[in-house]
Amino acid sequence: MDQTRRRRHTGWWLLLAAIVILTGIAFAIMWRPALAPQATPPSFDQARIERGANLAHLGMCASCHTADLARPFAGGKPMETPFGTVHSTNITPDADTGIGAWSPDAFTRAMREGVSRDGHLLYPAFPYNHYVRMTQDDIDDLYAYFMTRSPIAAPAPANEMTFPFGFRPLVGFWNVLYLIDAPWRPDPRQSAEWNRGAYLADAVAHCAACHTPRTKLGGPDIQRQLDGGEAEDWYAPALNATSPSPLPWTREELQAYLRTGMAEDHAVAGGPMQDVVMHLAQADEGDVAALAAWTHSHLSQAPLRATPAQRDGALPEPAADDPELPRMRLGYALYASSCARCHDVGRAPSSGTALPLQKAIALYDPDPRSLIHIVDTGILPPDGEAGRWMPGFKAILSDEHAGALAAYLRKYGAGQPAWPQLDQQVSKARAP
Amino acid sequence: MTTYRLQVNGKRHAVDTDPDTPLLYVLRNDLALNGAKFGCGLGQCGSCTVIMDGKPVMSCLVPVSSIGTRAVRTVEGLGGSDKPGVLQQAFIDEQAAQCGYCIAGMIMQASALLEKTPAPTDAQIRAHMSPNLCRCGTHMRILRAVRRAADVLVKGEKR
Repeated sequence: MDQTRRRRHTGWWLLLAAIVILTGIAFAIMWRPALAPQATPPSFDQARIERGANLAHLGMCASCHTADLARPFAGGKPMETPFGTVHSTNITPDADTGIGAWSPDAFTRAMREGVSRDGHLLYPAFPYNHYVRMTQDDIDDLYAYFMTRSPIAAPAPANEMTFPFGFRPLVGFWNVLYLIDAPWRPDPRQSAEWNRGAYLADAVAHCAACHTPRTKLGGPDIQRQLDGGEAEDWYAPALNATSPSPLPWTREELQAYLRTGMAEDHAVAGGPMQDVVMHLAQADEGDVAALAAWTHSHLSQAPLRATPAQRDGALPEPAADDPELPRMRLGYALYASSCARCHDVGRAPSSGTALPLQKAIALYDPDPRSLIHIVDTGILPPDGEAGRWMPGFKAILSDEHAGALAAYLRKYGAGQPAWPQLDQQVSKARAP
Repeated sequence: MTTYRLQVNGKRHAVDTDPDTPLLYVLRNDLALNGAKFGCGLGQCGSCTVIMDGKPVMSCLVPVSSIGTRAVRTVEGLGGSDKPGVLQQAFIDEQAAQCGYCIAGMIMQASALLEKTPAPTDAQIRAHMSPNLCRCGTHMRILRAVRRAADVLVKGEKR
């Protein structure tokens, strides 16, 4: 009798101990302390600020943290994620709504661990899982740059997260899985330039944030590095041996593309990549050359393919025995009257002419999203910037027309097997 | 040749033409609606802008076969010199036309904006008008004219 009671007691004690330990672990994962505010920011020397400006361009900080060009870095830009809509924060040195009260330690902790100064966990839409590998010197440069911008009072709009992701401490578990705090190491077999590019691509420009697929939990799929991911519903092409690119890229083409958004035989940057290009155009030329060297070393692993891209000139009419002849004919008619006058006229892309469509990477992507978005919205220069201009066709083409055009271009432009579930993909991509 | 039934400025028309004929050619050559202009033929300048199903489109890029039952409106539908519409009057008041070639497209582009956004901000006007080019350089007057028309329309509704 006594013994059973004692055994029962031991059981309760064990349970209690387990609860205490698990609570302790959960607490350690989810809770971070606030760091003391600083009254006056330190002063910085000009060289540091300038290096920080270059890093801010390479990291494309403004791409998310600037919603309105008149208010640089004041945040407020909404970003759709599978877990809800996150708004970018104000990273100007405004003391109340920005990072004016952040010490260098608070800034470093945010960059490396994704923790705000007051201790709340930041959502990984902010790619701190890349910045964690940035050198302390580079983080200090960025700090100097941001602390010397004009302070703008702008509270961040409330996020709209789906349940239960509004509870920020949950991000702690994401960090256990995906925040790998190992310093970046150069590859001694590669050149200094390649290593510079590799460092910038990983720790600063966070290329993999879009070009690597994500798991269901929204973390990078480490097994499939640079296998192609997505950004704002655009397909972000694979940058390795699985690249959909029909023609091999040269390093020079890549470098020009990263700075101008234009590569005559490959692509004109559209969608989110336009933003990337706009920022890289303002970054140090040698750094962008290093990024190109690193990217090229991966892209050049793609096997050579025999594709229609080697041809020039207008796309052919559909074959008389095509099993989908009416649809292909419709697609061809739309191509001939709406696309061919600028594309496929045998001129290089410039303000008045466009990419030969056989060479357009979007036609070779594993899904039609990027093509549909380009057809619908065209290619518009970022607000207030000069750039390529393709009109959007959303108001002109019905879903049926857009689908027929995509099916025709895929088959007779790229010579690729039909996209699976094209019609569903078209209506989903075009949904308001 | 196929017969296409089009609804333009509230009137029905039947037009015999090829399926890939641009709407612009049908408007000008078959229906004698010469407001919309041929500028570049590449969707780069906006001088052929008309409204289709409530949205501004560059009619040089619209194959007639793709229109279906969607209603088309051109600058002629807003009013004539005897009785100009609010936007047209605003363009006259601001003297926004120099050579005038782009103006029909500008007015239709602006009309599509004001129908959807009756009280646009200046930034919204600029962004919305950005596809349309004026080579004389009266852009500033054009923006003022759109502003004026928006103000007139908003006041009119309040009255």
